[in-house]
Amino acid sequence: MQSRKQERLGYLLSLILSVILAFAIGAVILAVSGHNPAQAYLAMLSGAFSSLRHVGDFLEYAMVLCVCGLACVLAARVGIFNVGGEGQLLLGAIAACQVGVWLDGQSAWLVLPLAVLAAVTVGGLYALIPGVLKVKLKVDEVITTIMLNTIAAYLCQFLAKGPWKNANKNIVAGTEQLNARYWFGGLVSGSNLTTAILAAAAIAFLVWYVMQKTSKGFEMRLTGQNPRFARFLGLKTDRMVLLCMVLSGAMSGLVGMFRVYGAEHLFKSSISNDYYFEGLMVAMIARYDPLTTILLSVFFAILKIGAQGMELSAGVPNQIYLIIQTVIIFFMAAERGIFAAIRERAARKKAQWAAQARQEGGAAHV
Amino acid sequence: MSEILRSIFSVGTFNQMLRSATPVALAAIGGSMTEHAGIMNIGMDGMILMGAFFGVLGSYLFSSAAAGLALAVLMGILVGLFFALLVVKLRSDEFIIGCALNTFALGLTTYLSRSIFGAAGTKGNPFLPTVSLPLLEKIPFVGQILNGHSLFVYLTWLLVLLMWLFVYKTPYGFWLRAAGEKPQTLRTAGVSPEKMKWLASILCGIFCALAGAHLSLGQLNGTFAENMSNSRGFIAFACVIFAAANPAKAYLAALMFGFFDAIGLRLQDYISSDLSGMIPYLITVIMMVYVVVRGQRRKQRARQNTAPADAPPAAAGR
Repeated sequence: MQSRKQERLGYLLSLILSVILAFAIGAVILAVSGHNPAQAYLAMLSGAFSSLRHVGDFLEYAMVLCVCGLACVLAARVGIFNVGGEGQLLLGAIAACQVGVWLDGQSAWLVLPLAVLAAVTVGGLYALIPGVLKVKLKVDEVITTIMLNTIAAYLCQFLAKGPWKNANKNIVAGTEQLNARYWFGGLVSGSNLTTAILAAAAIAFLVWYVMQKTSKGFEMRLTGQNPRFARFLGLKTDRMVLLCMVLSGAMSGLVGMFRVYGAEHLFKSSISNDYYFEGLMVAMIARYDPLTTILLSVFFAILKIGAQGMELSAGVPNQIYLIIQTVIIFFMAAERGIFAAIRERAARKKAQWAAQARQEGGAAHV
Repeated sequence: MSEILRSIFSVGTFNQMLRSATPVALAAIGGSMTEHAGIMNIGMDGMILMGAFFGVLGSYLFSSAAAGLALAVLMGILVGLFFALLVVKLRSDEFIIGCALNTFALGLTTYLSRSIFGAAGTKGNPFLPTVSLPLLEKIPFVGQILNGHSLFVYLTWLLVLLMWLFVYKTPYGFWLRAAGEKPQTLRTAGVSPEKMKWLASILCGIFCALAGAHLSLGQLNGTFAENMSNSRGFIAFACVIFAAANPAKAYLAALMFGFFDAIGLRLQDYISSDLSGMIPYLITVIMMVYVVVRGQRRKQRARQNTAPADAPPAAAGR
């Protein structure tokens, strides 16, 4: 118990240190490119908190990051990296949207469940492809999922420009808009925040509960950490990996549905701007721990929405956010190595001193 | 139908094939080095992007394409050093570092591009020359395909040969391969596998930078576009796997990718460009599956061939 507490404390310490260092490096980059770092960071802060609208926006984005991050955590727990969430998200979004367009006029009680079903099915099936390739044929999932992302993006572009195109000519690539009665209710007027966040919170709780508190979660951990031992215990590891991959895809698809029925109300490519990748990075920084992922997604959502506000008010490109986020990852990933190197050096110095002391001691005796 | 076929197997297709293949091939040569040294490098996409941006930046700052190339290579070396520092020295997870490197490069290049050039991007910088040989021009079909490309299309041939010789015919190449396959043995022989990994990582940085510089300074005549690497780093990674990290075979794999990319562009007249744009990525997935399945079959066959020697007597009796 003590060691686990220590581990957590160590994690928190290195996280805080990494964040501070990353902001410092960000400040250097800001200064070099001719912006005032203090001003930029203040603009970032006010960009996230200056009005209720912005708070709503960052909560909505936290929802996206959180569900995407948890989708990644779920797959990573059984030892498969779902880098293809972006494609699953896009396909889920367009499928859910089209269901709403086709069934226009029906009751919301029919349309919404069907839209959820469509998003979950399409996202899950699209994750099943790399899952089967990995489990049955041992094809590395990282490259296949990345390729499938691009393929999905092209497919959605094709659908949004071609067969499912909006009748309005001003919209080059987008589907028809959903009937307003299907939209998730807005929680903060003018912001992207809708009741979808409640559904997302329920999902997040469920994932956390299953992973941390049930025997299934333990079996998942076992499958990821020591598949041979898990098989020895009689667990069907292949099935477990596939199941988690499909669930991961389903969650990604669901994020797409939330985006369409919550904020955007129609499918267009801006439905996701590599949002899954940002969620994946949050999961990495959280070391694939569900609760940490949930908490950190709020932090990074504040950063991102703040950065967008900063771009508007101070004219600083918002990509500084990506730089800060990745620098945090670099520090967090290198942290063990850095501490090991410091410890090694200290141990070597100690040994040197001891050897010196012994020599001197020996000389004194003689 | 015959019209489509004629358009597919035309001069333009093969011309485009060379154009599309070259940046991928350059990155794949670099990826072969890290692959041999036993590093899974999925950060190549970011490395290409950095090369593309700093190539244009150098060209813009010093009004010279050569300076752009030099700056790109310098940054490539730095990125390679950084990658090695994290992955080799600090033993971080290669997958995480690779992913983060890609996003870092996307963030940094977009940020700097918007800060320095503004949202519109940059155009009209000095770019790398195209080469046209009057001798080559006279050969009918082949000459048209091979002539008039950007400088690096030709330099890549040389570099493929050089790196093939380096990997398979020099002691350094031998050590490099040993660093990935049998690091302990290499250490016993008195060569540090870590040093070879550093070397591989730096070489990969340089080649990816060349790929990026070729993309922006060669193919696009000195223009930088946000996220212009466009997953080429991942396609290069697939080529490396496909070629078992042999630079010459990786070039052929890149040519194959280029061919399908060119077909995609040709088919735009017949089907939506969004559908034809998928083709190279689909081919990459199929390529990955094919390589892995072939590798497993080979292993199985090898096992079967050795099986009779120690097969139980019951089987021998039948």
